[in-house]
Amino acid sequence: MSEDGGQTDAFETAVTVLQSGTVRVRSEDDILLARQEARAVAEEIGFSTTDVTRIVTGVSELTRNMHLYAEDGIMKWREIEAGTDRGIELVFDDDGPGIDDVEGVLRAEHSTSGGMGRGVQGTKKLMDGFDITSNPEDGTTITVRKWT
Amino acid sequence: MRTTDTAAVTQVYDVLIAAFPGRPTDQAVDDLQQDVLAQMEETNPRGVILDISEVTTLDSFFARVISETAGMVELMGGEAIVVGMRPSVAITAAELGFGLDAVETARSTDHALSMLGVRVEDADGEKAEGTNDEATTDSTKLDADGTPTGPASSPGGGR
Repeated sequence: MSEDGGQTDAFETAVTVLQSGTVRVRSEDDILLARQEARAVAEEIGFSTTDVTRIVTGVSELTRNMHLYAEDGIMKWREIEAGTDRGIELVFDDDGPGIDDVEGVLRAEHSTSGGMGRGVQGTKKLMDGFDITSNPEDGTTITVRKWT
Repeated sequence: MRTTDTAAVTQVYDVLIAAFPGRPTDQAVDDLQQDVLAQMEETNPRGVILDISEVTTLDSFFARVISETAGMVELMGGEAIVVGMRPSVAITAAELGFGLDAVETARSTDHALSMLGVRVEDADGEKAEGTNDEATTDSTKLDADGTPTGPASSPGGGR
């Protein structure tokens, strides 16, 4: 019962990965570390202050969800390039219980335990590309992209 | 990392100023809420200023705690005002869909103090200590019950 978030257009662009890194998220301190690392990378890529804030806020929402619902997860970041465009790709991957109703979460109908739907749906709005795959076997993987 | 996650609640006259740290853990945010409410009970201030000028990332959790804290202060009979939201944070919060709708906001600590009835006057030539850098006037008077008290030597003594 794998479901697709639907908004995959932004991922059809072939990209070159310039550098990458990983942050494991198992605690609240790790959420902070993930935010700090995402901020440093986004600033280095040359995002505006507002875009850096959008990116770091999205990282905060998605890493907190991983910690809350799956306890353990990984954030991978990649500095990406397509032609003259530079951007960041972030993958949030966990082996948790998965999300029963992905479409519902994206419509922000789920507001239990502090509003996962709000965080996920809000993050989608903050980014240029957003993709979610979730099922009970493999957990949840959310990939986002933002271009400068 | 540890240097930025400690919270501070200070008192200026009979107003509490809670400065939220820039990059706090969830626990630090919860702790600050507890501190605000504990000091609220202890000092019985007329209001609480929630200063988020250091906050660079306001996610849905943090926004909810700020809204809740403001609501709790009001339930306890005080007035809560949020000050200092950065432009990038305001843009992101609006896009995420939380605008801190039910919360009173002010442009600066000075503005919030005046909303709370702490009147700043440029009269007696004595420097008011404990107010923020933006204070450009020379003395601070309280008009809690319409009675000017003059420059207060004991903060919080207005009641």
